[in-house]
Amino acid sequence: MGVRKKEPGRITLFFRRPDVEKVVGSIANLLKYAFFAFFMLLMYLPIFVIAIQSFNQSTGLIYQFNGFTFEHWMNVLTFDLDSSLAKAITTTLLVAVLATAISTVLGTLVAIGIHSLPKKKRQGMVFLNQVPILNADIITGISLMFVFKIVAELIPGVFGIPSLLVAHVFFCMPYVVLSILPKLAELDENLYDAALDLYCKPSAGIVKVIIPAIMPGILTGMLIAFTMSIDDFLISFFNAGQVNNLSIYIYGGYNRRLAPEVYAYNTILSTVIILGLVAMYVVSAAKKRAALKHDLRHA
Amino acid sequence: MNIKKLGKLALPYLVWMLVLVGIPLVMIFILSFMNTDGVSFVGATWTTAAWEKMFSFADPTNLKILGDTFLYALIATVICFLIGYPMAYIVARSPFSNKFVILILTIIPMWSNSLLRNVALKNILSETNILDNLLSRIGLSFSIAFANQDQATFISIIIGLVLTYLPFMILPIYTVIEKIDESLLEASMDLGANRVRTFAKVTFPLSMKGVTTGIIMVFLPCFSGFAIQKLLSSGTVYVLGSLIEANFIHDINFVSMLSIVILILIFGSMMIVAKVDKEGATLV
Amino acid sequence: MAKKLIELNDITKMYDGAAVVNHINLYINENEFITLLGPSGCGKTTTLRMIGGFEKPDSGTVVMNGVVVNDVPPYERPINTVFQRYALFPHLNVYDNVAFGLRNQKVPKEEIAERVENALKLVSLPNFALRKVTNLSGGQQQRVAIARAIVNKPKILLLDEPLAALDLKLRQNMQYELKEMQRKLGITFVYVTHDQEEALTMSDTIVVMKDGVIQQIGTPTGIYNEPKNRFVARFIGESNILEGVYVRQNLVSFMGAEFDCVDTQFADGEPVDVVIRPEDLDIIDAAGAKLVGEVSSSIFRGVHFELCVMVQGKEFVIHTYENRKVGDHVGLRVDSYEIHLMKVEHVEH
Repeated sequence: MGVRKKEPGRITLFFRRPDVEKVVGSIANLLKYAFFAFFMLLMYLPIFVIAIQSFNQSTGLIYQFNGFTFEHWMNVLTFDLDSSLAKAITTTLLVAVLATAISTVLGTLVAIGIHSLPKKKRQGMVFLNQVPILNADIITGISLMFVFKIVAELIPGVFGIPSLLVAHVFFCMPYVVLSILPKLAELDENLYDAALDLYCKPSAGIVKVIIPAIMPGILTGMLIAFTMSIDDFLISFFNAGQVNNLSIYIYGGYNRRLAPEVYAYNTILSTVIILGLVAMYVVSAAKKRAALKHDLRHA
Repeated sequence: MNIKKLGKLALPYLVWMLVLVGIPLVMIFILSFMNTDGVSFVGATWTTAAWEKMFSFADPTNLKILGDTFLYALIATVICFLIGYPMAYIVARSPFSNKFVILILTIIPMWSNSLLRNVALKNILSETNILDNLLSRIGLSFSIAFANQDQATFISIIIGLVLTYLPFMILPIYTVIEKIDESLLEASMDLGANRVRTFAKVTFPLSMKGVTTGIIMVFLPCFSGFAIQKLLSSGTVYVLGSLIEANFIHDINFVSMLSIVILILIFGSMMIVAKVDKEGATLV
Repeated sequence: MAKKLIELNDITKMYDGAAVVNHINLYINENEFITLLGPSGCGKTTTLRMIGGFEKPDSGTVVMNGVVVNDVPPYERPINTVFQRYALFPHLNVYDNVAFGLRNQKVPKEEIAERVENALKLVSLPNFALRKVTNLSGGQQQRVAIARAIVNKPKILLLDEPLAALDLKLRQNMQYELKEMQRKLGITFVYVTHDQEEALTMSDTIVVMKDGVIQQIGTPTGIYNEPKNRFVARFIGESNILEGVYVRQNLVSFMGAEFDCVDTQFADGEPVDVVIRPEDLDIIDAAGAKLVGEVSSSIFRGVHFELCVMVQGKEFVIHTYENRKVGDHVGLRVDSYEIHLMKVEHVEH
């Protein structure tokens, strides 16, 4: 009986302490996630406002909601835009798509090249590759402007889409290279040799083996390149000549009222990108699950 | 991989980089000590006029701009670090099985045009703003009151810089913390360190690589940009970049000189990055 | 007479000014299982890669069927390789990995299907065709790598430490299976390893290498019983190596005593290195023994005991079935035909 009397005391002791810890722990957890959620919310607040503006009737002040409309969305989707905005959007997308394509293809080859260099040279190239990333955009912009000014002496029409394209490839390619290098480092060092061993010519070895194996890195690099290109202001500002991209267009109208279609365009573009990524993610997850199921069935 | 044969793929890139980085660098340096007409050297002479324009104690306007620029960038960077580190840490150490989703959430704002986001922010920070207008319909209000215009401008710019560049602080720090082996933390606790001490002595030192990159990736654009400052101050605040913007067509020598000021900071940063992160693992 | 399939004539390969492979000469016969054996950095993998065509020798010639093939790239050689960590293509499933080489050779579809199926059967993975290679165990990946190589029916199969990543039990099974496979397929195997036991078990011929130089070429028994120098003696199995003098024909002196021996190719009075394998030393009573010492340690090794006996300040390792206590005084005996003499090498690293 004496033992039994002691028992409850001991048990409550065992229960109480974890209880206190649990409460403190969950409060700490709550605060942690509240902190995270608060700043996430702050980052999203401007995007929320952009979305609202894309549905805001344009009769009235931009500081108030004048009524819901799909008009701006329709205008963007049918490309019924004021000509300077239309040109800015076309330029932005054209340059982004071309620059992404070019820098992805070239960046992949360059990354494979850098990876194959002996250690000392490789580190040198990796450092050089970081220059455009670490460099302030304004310096990159001015530097390229100087180069194009010299080139313009020989080829007068260089400022505009051509200069923008070269500039964008210049600052996008390093991101592609940098996304691919770690994927290459993860590869079995004999993978390329294995391709040659199995009757691939050198170029076929790269296309059939190396590139598929580093595909995730290439896609990441591509996405970063596109993101950087559509959002660029500073580098384009110094190298666009008479052309405007969307950032320059917005900057130029900073004290005026922006065409409401800008908000609609922005909302549509980011929605498309996000939906595209979600779709890609879902498809790859489904594929993975199917492969796993198959493996389990045959295990 | 068959080393010598594929290495040559990197050679054109070396040439490309040297032309687009090396030549302009030399030009910037030379032009800052000359008075040229654009990039034409005809009739140009050596002069330190551009440097005197900047570092003149008789007319400290430009020096004051340099100081302001530094201050804005420094404050924004510190705040980004204070917010970004915990956020990165919370994501990296969260029990959520799918960090990918949270990570994407951090990146999504980057797919909205950053200047447009600041235009929207300007709206939000105005006394009468669209959120307030919407909320007033359900009896709520949202308005930030500032003591005066100067304070409003200053705080707006800081908020604008922080919200624009916060992801650039979070991502590299997240990348390194995520890679820290859990068993190191267990080892530290096993050796008698408590959670706080484990963080201070193990996690934080190991995340320095990401912190360095994050700080640089935030500080440099804050220091050298001008668009956000101009948008949020309606053109009343001048920073170093504004001087470049105002002069890049007519006074290339002054612009070159201003570039050197920024370049000095960049060189310092690159040296640091080359030391702490040789393979550039935290840059993407 | 076996037919020479490959000859390496005076091959040298330099890396950063240092010779990784230094003037080696070697020939490989048809249907031979030949092993390049040596510690890491001895040049064995580089030699293999030169046979495969992944590296070009700086001097010397690689001859295949009488034709110099120095400049023939890997994809034109009838040689396939099983790489060290398998180098399976991570984006392809098992079937596509195995079919990869056949597709590049434009083999008809039906034939590919048949040959891949047979190859997977041969490596005991018949139902694995559609599995992802990244989800396979180490042993299974290993089998896929072998199937991927042999499905092309190469004349020569190169294997670069293929078993190094497997655990002991699996490794022993695979040794047996590889040997069987080689016999069945009638393909020449060139095998690289640093594991002497593996080499002894599987090979027809062993090539012992060190610092880019071939130390000895011979059959497993030949190399084990008659190592040419201290390095080979130490690297292959355990051995007691002593300094001695070749007194005259059939008589050698070491440790202050004279012993009968069977080696004859030395000059009278020439210094020699004496090799005695641990299992060739017998423990006898101390009284009347030529070698007397004190047991300094005894370890049970499963089948036998490993004793260390200190004789005149020199430690002998002995494998014996009967245990002795530490501190016991014992005598050691060795039969004349188990004393192996080697030329003394003046350069000893």
